Amino acid sequence: MALYDNKLWLLSHIRNSFISTDDTGMSELVMVGEDLPKHLADKLDSYRDPDDSEDDDDMSHEPYDIQLDMEFEGHRQRSNTAVRLEKMDQAKKRAAKVKNIKWELSTVPLTVEDINDLFVRKDIEKNRPVIRKSLLTEQIERCTNLPQNPYIEYAKFDGSAQVGILTRKYKIFLTMLPEEHRNYPMIICCVATAKIEELIGFILLKCSTIHGDFPLKPASHYGLYITEEDGEVDHDFPHLDPKECVAKFGFTCLGLVELKHGTKNVSFESSQVIIHNDPDDILNTLNKIPMVDEAKQITANMQLMKVHATAMEAPLYQSYRVYIVNKVRAKAEIHLGISGEKIEIDPLQQKNSKFTFVRQKPVSHHIDSLAWCEITDTKSSGTAFRVVYSPSFGNTASSTSMTVSGPSQSPTLQTSASFKHYDFEADHNTAEEIVQKINLILELRSSVSRKEYIATRERKQHRRKNLHLNK
Amino acid sequence: MVVDSSNENDQIILATGGYDHTIKIWQTHTGICQRTMQHADSQVNALEITPDKQSLAATGYQHIRMYDLASSNPNPIVNYEGITKNVTGVGFQEDGKWMYTGSEDHSARIWDYRSKTPQAAKIFQTSAPVTSVCLHPNQVELLVGDQSGVIHLWDLKTDHNEQFIPEGDAAILDVDVDPEGTHMAAVNNKGRCYIWSLTFGRDGEPTKMNPKHKFNAHKKAALKCKFSPDSTLLVTTSADQTAKIWKTCDFSLLQELKHENQRWVWDVAFSSDSQYIFTASSDGYAKLWNVKTGSMEREYAGHQKAVIALAFRDIAP
Repeated sequence: MALYDNKLWLLSHIRNSFISTDDTGMSELVMVGEDLPKHLADKLDSYRDPDDSEDDDDMSHEPYDIQLDMEFEGHRQRSNTAVRLEKMDQAKKRAAKVKNIKWELSTVPLTVEDINDLFVRKDIEKNRPVIRKSLLTEQIERCTNLPQNPYIEYAKFDGSAQVGILTRKYKIFLTMLPEEHRNYPMIICCVATAKIEELIGFILLKCSTIHGDFPLKPASHYGLYITEEDGEVDHDFPHLDPKECVAKFGFTCLGLVELKHGTKNVSFESSQVIIHNDPDDILNTLNKIPMVDEAKQITANMQLMKVHATAMEAPLYQSYRVYIVNKVRAKAEIHLGISGEKIEIDPLQQKNSKFTFVRQKPVSHHIDSLAWCEITDTKSSGTAFRVVYSPSFGNTASSTSMTVSGPSQSPTLQTSASFKHYDFEADHNTAEEIVQKINLILELRSSVSRKEYIATRERKQHRRKNLHLNK
Repeated sequence: MVVDSSNENDQIILATGGYDHTIKIWQTHTGICQRTMQHADSQVNALEITPDKQSLAATGYQHIRMYDLASSNPNPIVNYEGITKNVTGVGFQEDGKWMYTGSEDHSARIWDYRSKTPQAAKIFQTSAPVTSVCLHPNQVELLVGDQSGVIHLWDLKTDHNEQFIPEGDAAILDVDVDPEGTHMAAVNNKGRCYIWSLTFGRDGEPTKMNPKHKFNAHKKAALKCKFSPDSTLLVTTSADQTAKIWKTCDFSLLQELKHENQRWVWDVAFSSDSQYIFTASSDGYAKLWNVKTGSMEREYAGHQKAVIALAFRDIAP
């Protein structure tokens, strides 16, 4: 390395390293701004061209490899000393909670009273009552048929409370559990030398002790997938190689997934080693009844959460493939794009039909022009739904407001004039989702068009009622 | 420290510790580890539960640490120091008035517990590292075994002491007295077991010890010996990878507790009805054995390295 015999470069490097690692900031005050004196620089660097020194002075001697990260602009990077000091401080704090008692014999020997108080000779009763059964014996006898936890061999990979050996902490989402337990991670700490399959075994062991009533399969039936912090398993990547060491992977958030196509060599015997729900199992019987209620409560909460979530997501853009139905009942497949801003109708190219019944042009409506959306018909082939909109929205905003303020106008006439509609058809689930989505958006915005439409409808109903009454 | 009978105390406690610098508390009937505590800087040499069942004493290199059993604090709450070498044994006076320890710095110590801060009360010096300490059930005589093969009978009240040397150049590794106070057993590094019959000392006289029996219990070093609570059995553990149960009536072998690859069996404890035995071994497991059948009934897995100490408190209805 040529640079290393360059005294000037080395000097500059030392200066910079010192400044950049000095936490106190004192060095900067002392060595403020100024670079090396010019005559010294000339003496040290024989290769330096004195003429162009002004131009490249700052550049050439600034070691580029110790530039501080931009992220640390606000605060200085902590040096090793600071980290060590903090560790010592923590140890001290922990030690402060421990009472230390030192062996120090006082020079004054114990008094006779002390000795008489401390050391009292006890008469040992002969023929002491024989204990027939201890609590241990009772408990062991009560669970004689308790099958051994099949994952017990994985217990040694537990990394919690280990001192002096490397451990790794994971958030594990257990996707095979019932819904109420699926959405929060289990914190697992294992030794860094464990393999992925051993980590899986250890997870199952912990899982079996916590969720004792859930049947689990042998460790080879599960795979660990990379998972988002919110518990969404990323199926795009294969599950982590079970034979690899956990230390090889840097992910801290994983999802345990039951593999659909279990490995072929799994014998019948191994699949029998499932934890049975032993009625004698104290753990289970104790918690069963309150657990059921709790589970119900959790499921109810989950349902509520789901509703909130769909409401939150409603204004997000989503595209659906549905059929648009025109007045003569001809259908054409289109893309229906819905967002908080607008809805778009884009025709799909009909590949295999030589002629099309419907020529649908791509259109877009501002969401505030929409007035209504409802399911109109449910057939076995699909569900029809209708989106009502006001074509006059935007360009004739003033006229719309006028119609609202003019109640004397004939409602039938107004409906036909102000509102148009599209009819769509899709499979039941999609239709329902679209209707729910649009209605959530409409409720959120409650536009003029919508108010107007609702008012019209009410008037219509009112009129109908009146007709009935008059009859 | 008076034993109170609150509900918290109505539980079985099994604690194990060893070379992995951790102490684990187990649910005995399921084999599930309930809690792990850190024992930093040192292996765990010996464990004992205080008579009030509130704390667990763990001895290591140069200190004795007390852990709170009632809370979930993974760190010790009290640290006893001032000992220069390994602390090999620990125990408590039955009312919790004082704690006794034995250590490789050639001494046995009594720690006075009556005041709020325990203090040094008494020390007994030997000529060799102390390997085991055992309190006679009369609560005033401490038996101290050392590496040179001497067993000291130390009267705590009078400081009078007597020595017994069952065998030259063999280290005594453990000493125990049966709960009735009629027999004492000692095992050495040659696998031999010595039995004395004890007669009560009347009016403060020291206990009289008469050699009664000796037998080769194991092929290799014997590590622990312990009488059953009903005094009818004696269990010895050994480097020969077994634990053996002997009848105290004639010292005939009742059971041999063996398990493939269990390696050295370091420590042992009886259930209070003498029906079950716990062992701690170098394979990293603690095990539960049925005395009657000699079969292993439970295995306590979770330690990374050899388990060399265990403490057990049973509940007798």
